[in-house]
Amino acid sequence: MLFWQMAWRNVWRYRRRSLLTVLTIALGLAFTILMRGIGDGFHEQMVDNSVRAQIGHIEIHRSGYQHDPALLKMLPDVQLLERIVSRTPRLRGFSFRVLGDGLASTAENSAGVSIVGIAPQAERSVTAIDRAIITGRFLDDGMSRPVLIGERLSQSLGARLNDKVVLMVQAADGSMGAQLFRVAGIFRSGSPELDRGVVYLLRKDAQSLFSIAGGLTEAALLLDSSHSVAEAQQFLTTRLSGQPVEVLPWYVVEPFLRQFIELDDAFFYIIVLILFIVISVGILNTVMMSVFERVREFGVMMALGTKPRQVVRLVVQEAAVLAVLGAALGALLGSASTIGFAYTGINLSSYAAGASALGITTTVIHPELTSRNLIFSDLSVVVVVLLVAFYPAIKAAGLKPVEAIRHI
Amino acid sequence: MAQIELIGVSKTYRDHVAVHALTALNLAIEKGEFTAAVGPSGSGKTTLLNLIGAIDTPDTGTIRIAGLEITSTPADQLAEFRLRHLGFVFQSFNLFPVLSVMENLEFVPALQGVPKPERVRRAERLLEGVGMLELRDKRPGELSGGQQQRVAVLRAILPEPDLVLADEPTANLDSENAGLLLDMMERLNRELAVTFLFSTHDPAVMGRARRLIRLRDGRLIGDEKQEP
Repeated sequence: MLFWQMAWRNVWRYRRRSLLTVLTIALGLAFTILMRGIGDGFHEQMVDNSVRAQIGHIEIHRSGYQHDPALLKMLPDVQLLERIVSRTPRLRGFSFRVLGDGLASTAENSAGVSIVGIAPQAERSVTAIDRAIITGRFLDDGMSRPVLIGERLSQSLGARLNDKVVLMVQAADGSMGAQLFRVAGIFRSGSPELDRGVVYLLRKDAQSLFSIAGGLTEAALLLDSSHSVAEAQQFLTTRLSGQPVEVLPWYVVEPFLRQFIELDDAFFYIIVLILFIVISVGILNTVMMSVFERVREFGVMMALGTKPRQVVRLVVQEAAVLAVLGAALGALLGSASTIGFAYTGINLSSYAAGASALGITTTVIHPELTSRNLIFSDLSVVVVVLLVAFYPAIKAAGLKPVEAIRHI
Repeated sequence: MAQIELIGVSKTYRDHVAVHALTALNLAIEKGEFTAAVGPSGSGKTTLLNLIGAIDTPDTGTIRIAGLEITSTPADQLAEFRLRHLGFVFQSFNLFPVLSVMENLEFVPALQGVPKPERVRRAERLLEGVGMLELRDKRPGELSGGQQQRVAVLRAILPEPDLVLADEPTANLDSENAGLLLDMMERLNRELAVTFLFSTHDPAVMGRARRLIRLRDGRLIGDEKQEP
């Protein structure tokens, strides 16, 4: 207790220097928390955009479909699946779909497309495709062979609203299936991949086109957040353990997105590392000066019987006081700024064109404050400060009492 | 066996030139003595105190204090030895400026593991004995030089050491404060049977010692008992 008292008071002997050091730690930490918050928010929004565009947080296919998609790999026992899926924790919605590839043709042009057969109501609960319609309307079970096509596909096919589009596929029985559809709506999702290469149609029409009466290819699940994926995946994997299915989280379905996030994280950690090195130099300077200004005092302490390790402890405790105060203030500033920006959003729409080319549709970032961010940042800065303090502490402990006492 | 024994102790400081601070010194001091090491500046008084205080090591010779040969004891054990057996009073007080009078007095007993109530009780008793109890919460910077040095002596005494080493304890004090300090040291020596070894070149202070060890150029040139 006496050492803590001494450490606390020693810190405030040099009030201005200590305040500047605390401020340096705090600002560095606040910057780290805010940047991490922006990164987390950006990533969460990217993931959300991606899952809301099509994939969902979790997809369920027949085993092996992800590696080798084939029409014949259809989901087994759909009723059982639906029953289990509907009980998934953190579930917001799910949609069973038919997936396949084909050729879309109009009188003017043709293009290879991915065909997605959906149940409109269920699809609304998973993706935002119904809200991406810019012309026409979303699919309805009452319509006769309607399709939704992306804006870019409509341009390349020269297909406008109510125009006819022929979809040609290889059916499950090996025959060529070709049916006439009518454009019920044109969407702009922001995802170049979707806008240029996906055609949505009613699930029953897709089953008819592919000759797979009642067959389904995938279930897409939307959860309350990407943080719930592990829990939901665990539930489904356990409950479906006897079924020949694969339960895939979004990052397996879209590995590019995950790699992008990991790369972005790596850049962030490099910036944090550089920042921490700068902070460390500042702390080292402060603690070194504090030690060199008190050489005589350390000499007296040791002459009175203080052991070298107790001297180390005192110096490290002084650094700990600076670190904890800096960490507390930094956490406060970092949290406040992150929450503030989460509320107002950070508008990056001026960079939207470039981002869109990379498939990034997020233009307003809402930073996210997570306990993981706060704890990781705070602990990191405290550990760094304590580690840095060891060098001057060991220097102080290595002083010879007789020389230290003579020090002027 | 004497409480302090020095056998053939020599110490040379080698900076730009070699300075023989002590040369082949033999000395024995019994428990309860009130001894002054005297001599002009550079005679080796401070070196003698530093060596006996185990904060410096001799080049040759043996130093034994309370039976422990400190010249061959590892640094960590020496720190423990100083903590348990020695008290130091420095020329320029050297109280810890961030601690109050009471906390300065508690410092060594706290390291010794003496419980706080006991530390406080002992400190209050000593402060009361020298009429300084009302200064218990003052910081050293708020005290006069004489008051600081008296606190420094109490800090040395409070842990109940076997030996107190005081390097020119009155050097920064006026004659009145020097007298008060010596009165206190004499009383503590008499009442607690603590051995005192202090260095001085002040003739007025020398007169208060019961034994004078005279040094010149690092050699013992006289060792005499005297009536105070």
